[in-house]
Amino acid sequence: MTYKFPWTEVGESPKTVCHVETRRWIPFEPGNTDYQEYLAWLAEGNEPLPADDPS
Amino acid sequence: MSILNVNQIQPVGSGQTVTISATNISAGSATVTAGTFTGNLTGNVTGNATGLSGSPTLSGITSVSTSNLTVNGNAYPSAGPLSNRNLIINGAMQVAQRGTSSTSTGYQTVDRFTVSRNGVSVTQSQETLSSGDPYDEGFRYFLRYTNTATNSSAQSFVEISQYIESQNVAQSGWNYKSSSSYITTSFWVRSSLAGTYYVHYNNDDVDKFVYNKAFTLSSNTWTKVTHSIPGDSSCVFNNDNGRGLRVVIVPHYGTDYTDSSSQTDAWFTRTTSNYSPDFAQNWSNSASATFDITGLQLEVGTVATPFEHRSYGDELARCQRYYQKMIVEDIKFTCSRWDQSQGVGECNVYLRETMRLAPTFAFTGTWDTGGGWGGDPVMTLARPDVVVLTTTVSTVAASGVKVLRSETTDASISFTAEL
Repeated sequence: MTYKFPWTEVGESPKTVCHVETRRWIPFEPGNTDYQEYLAWLAEGNEPLPADDPS
Repeated sequence: MSILNVNQIQPVGSGQTVTISATNISAGSATVTAGTFTGNLTGNVTGNATGLSGSPTLSGITSVSTSNLTVNGNAYPSAGPLSNRNLIINGAMQVAQRGTSSTSTGYQTVDRFTVSRNGVSVTQSQETLSSGDPYDEGFRYFLRYTNTATNSSAQSFVEISQYIESQNVAQSGWNYKSSSSYITTSFWVRSSLAGTYYVHYNNDDVDKFVYNKAFTLSSNTWTKVTHSIPGDSSCVFNNDNGRGLRVVIVPHYGTDYTDSSSQTDAWFTRTTSNYSPDFAQNWSNSASATFDITGLQLEVGTVATPFEHRSYGDELARCQRYYQKMIVEDIKFTCSRWDQSQGVGECNVYLRETMRLAPTFAFTGTWDTGGGWGGDPVMTLARPDVVVLTTTVSTVAASGVKVLRSETTDASISFTAEL
């Protein structure tokens, strides 16, 4: 399982994260079940990939 | 006062009527019987009036108290609202935004219904009805589970569930803290395998607090199941948009999940091994077994009223609070960049219904790149009623524009906020 952040403006923090394998974009919303899965994944010590470089 | 003691009063001659001229007729605790009562019955009437026929006009009645009132064959509610009674969404199985057949688990076909399984392989599908008792009641679809690979293990199970938002239960009119206040479930069900199955109710705001109701089926026969369950002082339904009540129809629980210590017809705190009593039959280990459901209704009170048929549009809108999908082949989302620096282009997508909460975004299809195209869509911000999509490419010039577009026929965008 892999997660990746979106590109963000300078000085801004991401508000969503991508579940790479399914190409789903997950909002940082506590009641969202996908976000809850993401938090559980983080709690296992994992880290998302950084955003892609400009292309 | 004079008292006339007689055994019988008969009209004189060939008459048929005896007229009693009095302001009041009192029969004490006795029953007054006649082949026919004519004229108006006025004043206070107490006791039971049975055998009313013909076309009597009843006026001045201010309340009718009965546990089960039926008028022209239609049962009337004993409690709760008189409209929007059904707490289940898409109970007639007519909306299937994601597709009509899937071998995957979770939300895949009929909206709002999710399948969980272990061991056994199952295909879930939306099927059409063309005859039979449910058809005669106005149903045209049913949800089918087909066993495609049997499994005999004790860990095998199959569940069909709908989660109901907690606030919908809290505001339903069910006094769920009271053991004398009820909700009633009704549905049509058919299994290729005869036996006794269970509906498992889970109060999600309380840890593992559940209620089981059994129902028995003959093989390949549509059966209308109705039952009521009471409230309990330990029930909790928070006034929020989280999981409140999970209604689970269970084709099979393996013996790892069943136990004689489990209960039916009572709320109890389950363990991991006593979801329900043992299943005598084994649907999971029956090749090509099918399990069909339609007409699922859950309402306040003790009476199963006629199914609340809703139009497709009404039901779709309700489903879209939890999932919505747009087919977007050749639809163009113009993403613009404001006038400062290079970066991604953005556009707002306004959702068709306000969703339960900020949704997850997914897309299908191949999205055009190069030139003025923006590549795959990216969701960078979500609210329950609007999301921001951006281009993948982050080289959109200041005040520039790129367009998100897919020309593949399977192109879609979807938003999920399921429970």
